[in-house]
Amino acid sequence: MSMFKRSPWMVHYDGASCNGCDIEVLACLTPRYDVERFGVINTGNPKHADVLLITGYINEQSQPVVRQIYQQMPDPKVVIAIGICATSGGIFSECYNTKGGVDSTIPVDVYVPGCAARPESIIDGVVKGLAVLETKRAAWRIERKKRNRVFRLPFFKPKASPP
Amino acid sequence: MKMTYVALKSLFSSPATANYPAEPKTYYPGTRGHIVLEVSTCTLCKICEIRCPTGAIQVDREGKAWSIERMKCIQCGFCVDSCPRKCLSNDPQYTSPASEKITDRLDVPYEPPKRKPKPETPPA
Amino acid sequence: MSNRTIIPFGPQHPVLPEPIHLDLVVEDERVIEAIPSFGFIHRGLERLVEKKDFQEFTFVAERVCGICSFIHGMGYCQAVERVMGITLPPRADYLRTFWAELSRIHSHLLWMGLVADAFGFENLFMNSWRIRENILDIVEETTGGRVIFGAAKIGGTRRDVTNDKLKEIGRTLKTIEAELHAITDVFEQDYSVQQRLRGIGILSREDAFDLGAVGPTLRGSGEPMDARCEGYAAYRDIEVEPIVESDCDSYARCMVRIREIYQSFDIIRQVLCRMPDGETEIKVKGYPNGEHFARLEQPRGEVLYYVKGNGTKHLDRFRVRTPTFANIPPLLKMLQGCDLPDVPVIVLTIDPCISCAER
Repeated sequence: MSMFKRSPWMVHYDGASCNGCDIEVLACLTPRYDVERFGVINTGNPKHADVLLITGYINEQSQPVVRQIYQQMPDPKVVIAIGICATSGGIFSECYNTKGGVDSTIPVDVYVPGCAARPESIIDGVVKGLAVLETKRAAWRIERKKRNRVFRLPFFKPKASPP
Repeated sequence: MKMTYVALKSLFSSPATANYPAEPKTYYPGTRGHIVLEVSTCTLCKICEIRCPTGAIQVDREGKAWSIERMKCIQCGFCVDSCPRKCLSNDPQYTSPASEKITDRLDVPYEPPKRKPKPETPPA
Repeated sequence: MSNRTIIPFGPQHPVLPEPIHLDLVVEDERVIEAIPSFGFIHRGLERLVEKKDFQEFTFVAERVCGICSFIHGMGYCQAVERVMGITLPPRADYLRTFWAELSRIHSHLLWMGLVADAFGFENLFMNSWRIRENILDIVEETTGGRVIFGAAKIGGTRRDVTNDKLKEIGRTLKTIEAELHAITDVFEQDYSVQQRLRGIGILSREDAFDLGAVGPTLRGSGEPMDARCEGYAAYRDIEVEPIVESDCDSYARCMVRIREIYQSFDIIRQVLCRMPDGETEIKVKGYPNGEHFARLEQPRGEVLYYVKGNGTKHLDRFRVRTPTFANIPPLLKMLQGCDLPDVPVIVLTIDPCISCAER
């Protein structure tokens, strides 16, 4: 498939949800939907991951955990908010323990609606997220080149090409 | 040993995987996907706005518009059940993921029935 | 005396789809004590009764948990119906039982997959979830949702299923059951499964009873207790025999769940045979005034709903005691003295549903 240029690894965290979306994320890995045929692997380690899937809204106690997972992921990274709770708080938005959707804590790139979000929507969302990842990666590459230019040592300077 | 039988069986049976993004999924007719409004019969009665558990539906009587925040709707179908004119329905197709929160605003051409002007009392 | 170390387990752990945090006090490789900490997914939805009216609250009650969502909605509706003195039409009762048993099958299949993943049997995990998808197809066709059914309603059910459809479902379930035998045989006979589960996470019958274990955790320790014998909904016509195993270990709890799947197939068959015709809902008038405790059997065990109404459209109080909440003290007891690599398996044998426990 041309839309999956690389094998994105994802890490999944449940902010505070009814776990309906969590089991749908897991269902994506199983034979019926099998995202592994695109090279998507659900890894347990945030340091290996390109994509962060968050289900459920953010509350007081899960906020530092989510922030920590986000910071541990290497750049460039994409955050996908899955389910209505993750996008806006949904039916729990009036609860006393709610801080709001995931975007109240970390920047979100793609919102996947649905209560609970279907595996098909999650696959669509990951595809959208990968497009974002590709643009982010291009921008990041340019920035890295700039950074390298500053630190380049004089004897590594390329020879000027003859006219 | 038992597992070998199961594993061998899956070698020779047809794949369980639905080839999803290549072949579009066909939904069951009763699936609660997203809410659709039949604009021509809506009377802007505001019952759906009151009943919606998440406050996703907004009815603007002055601006003659019905709007729904797609990223707030939980597809419970309570508005569909409570609509007195049966102009709301569930469509099996899901809202597609997006980078922004979508709000759909529909213009409703409903004209409220004009009250009859009071008959002027003839001067005595 | 060797060194004691504290190893954190969770909240983000590859085995668990949900966050739970355990501080494991370890001496060499042996767990001495487990200290849980909660609140990662506490929502405080019991207080939402102040903001949502009692009919809207059915949707909140269904979202207590995404795995056994229908039974939560059904339990809440049942409690409110008792308060309001509503008797359901028999078809509604039977349809509710039908969906409740379907959700039990899908929950147990999900658990079978997760526990197979926990002891590293990837193939079994994939096969269990493959069969679970077939059950979810039936659910989606009849209710319109895969995970959150949205079919319960105060005064009946929101959808009806035609009798032809029910007959067709009966035939489909028969093929699914035949397919399932191949998977459960692996659990019963495979050498590696037995090695990972037998004699691990022992919970004696006295401990289970004293610590208030419920559901398969209790029944795996040899205590026959099943809230379905109370005879709510259609269980008043259908006899349910509690499934009991007396080995008290992880394998016994596994066997209880596997035998319960077949029991659920049997109950569904009876429900489909006896399905009465008629209305599926009745009109609800007035507001609840009074209080009631409803007791239901979930896939994970017994669940309690307390509802108190004050004659207005907002309830005074709603309280739910979920099975995982009751099963956590027995879990801590099981973890004492186990090996560190067995911790994920033992945690999974109580079928933890943290969203339920923290509400």
